[in-house]
Amino acid sequence: MAKIAIDPITRIEGHLRIEAQVADGKIADAWSSSTMFRGMELVLKGRDPRDAWLFAQRI
Amino acid sequence: MRRELEDSVVLTNRRSRGWQGSAPTAWAERGISRRNFIKFCSAMAATLALPELYVPQIAAALEKVKRPALVWLEFQDCAGCTESFLRASHPPVGDIVLDILSVNYHETIMAPSGKAAERSLMDTVRGEKGKYLVVVEGSIPTKDGGIYCTIGGRTALDIAREVCGNAAATITVGACAFYGGWPSARPDPTGAVGVEQAVPGIKVINLPGCPPNAANITATVVHYLTFGELPPTDEQGRPLFAYGELIHDRCERRAHYDAGRFVEAWGDEAHRKGWCLYKMGCKGPASYHNCPAIRWNDGTSWPVGGGHGCIGCAERNFWDTMSPFYRHLPRVPGFGIQTTADKIGGWIVGGTAAAFAAHGVASAIRGRLQPLDGEDKPKEGEA
Repeated sequence: MAKIAIDPITRIEGHLRIEAQVADGKIADAWSSSTMFRGMELVLKGRDPRDAWLFAQRI
Repeated sequence: MRRELEDSVVLTNRRSRGWQGSAPTAWAERGISRRNFIKFCSAMAATLALPELYVPQIAAALEKVKRPALVWLEFQDCAGCTESFLRASHPPVGDIVLDILSVNYHETIMAPSGKAAERSLMDTVRGEKGKYLVVVEGSIPTKDGGIYCTIGGRTALDIAREVCGNAAATITVGACAFYGGWPSARPDPTGAVGVEQAVPGIKVINLPGCPPNAANITATVVHYLTFGELPPTDEQGRPLFAYGELIHDRCERRAHYDAGRFVEAWGDEAHRKGWCLYKMGCKGPASYHNCPAIRWNDGTSWPVGGGHGCIGCAERNFWDTMSPFYRHLPRVPGFGIQTTADKIGGWIVGGTAAAFAAHGVASAIRGRLQPLDGEDKPKEGEA
């Protein structure tokens, strides 16, 4: 079975990788991965709740 | 301005207006009238704080320019800087700057994906080595081998080293590419850094802001195309034309600050009257940016104009040093907790005057002056 990977996926906001397993011209299985992590929840922890929107809108 | 440019588009085979007598240019072919082209050049000169006599020089440079290659890298980003740049209609970025540049790689707008996209990037890095410009948006994670941002299986750090290392110059857009931005905010889960830290020793100009203003990005590119070099900067690599003055000193609410008229609660009488937002947490007295002058959304308004304090987004580490954002400035490191508003006002004014003299803004601008041909030649004493 052939395996294809498309990385980066373009024309989106953010980073995405798609891998697919191909059998007889059909996709048998597929995986998507977001290839970027910043840790927004960890950064928000312990801050003034009034500031949350400023961080969270930069998702 | 975009509307005017669109109005000037000639639908038939007629040449666009105003270009008769001058050499035919790509601008005429695109249907942009001479008048609107010059208006764009004037807006750029104004943003760069250059005297009007530079307009012909800018126009001449943009008419001649041979589509320099540009690649736009996105790392730990939210694409907000891209949005800020592409959605701006004043100046008409899409119509002018994207036409004069050959944008060979930009994940958010390019057609190819996967290996084809990587090929576009590598063709530029290898084929245009030392000649292309690179724009970086987003921070670069360094923790755990840089695993927190990978593109095509390579880490952001690895890509930045190769792409920025071989470029003519790197333009960082936004707070993240400047110093690490909010990914680097306490507790900095991924060890995020800016380009200068990740790839030391390369030629970089920083356009911080969250996001930066499209007018400043455009003007920086236009300056490079016109004068063959990046505009003069402060000690943090930020161009003086955009980051040379305190927001507080150009603020439309400054008179209220000086008179001691402050907003005390959201929606109170003072807030409705547009008084000073200092006590509500405005960081304008500690932030260098030209927002009050160029504003946002086609010059419609800006945060303070809309009734919210400045968060100081063009300053290093602002996510930690300027927050909590609704607490007023004396709590921010660098100011004594007991300092009164008046004392801060005086301190800031004195500090800015000294910084200005040290930066030598005026002499830096004079240094850009080059002789022009014929009638456009600057007269004695005009600079």
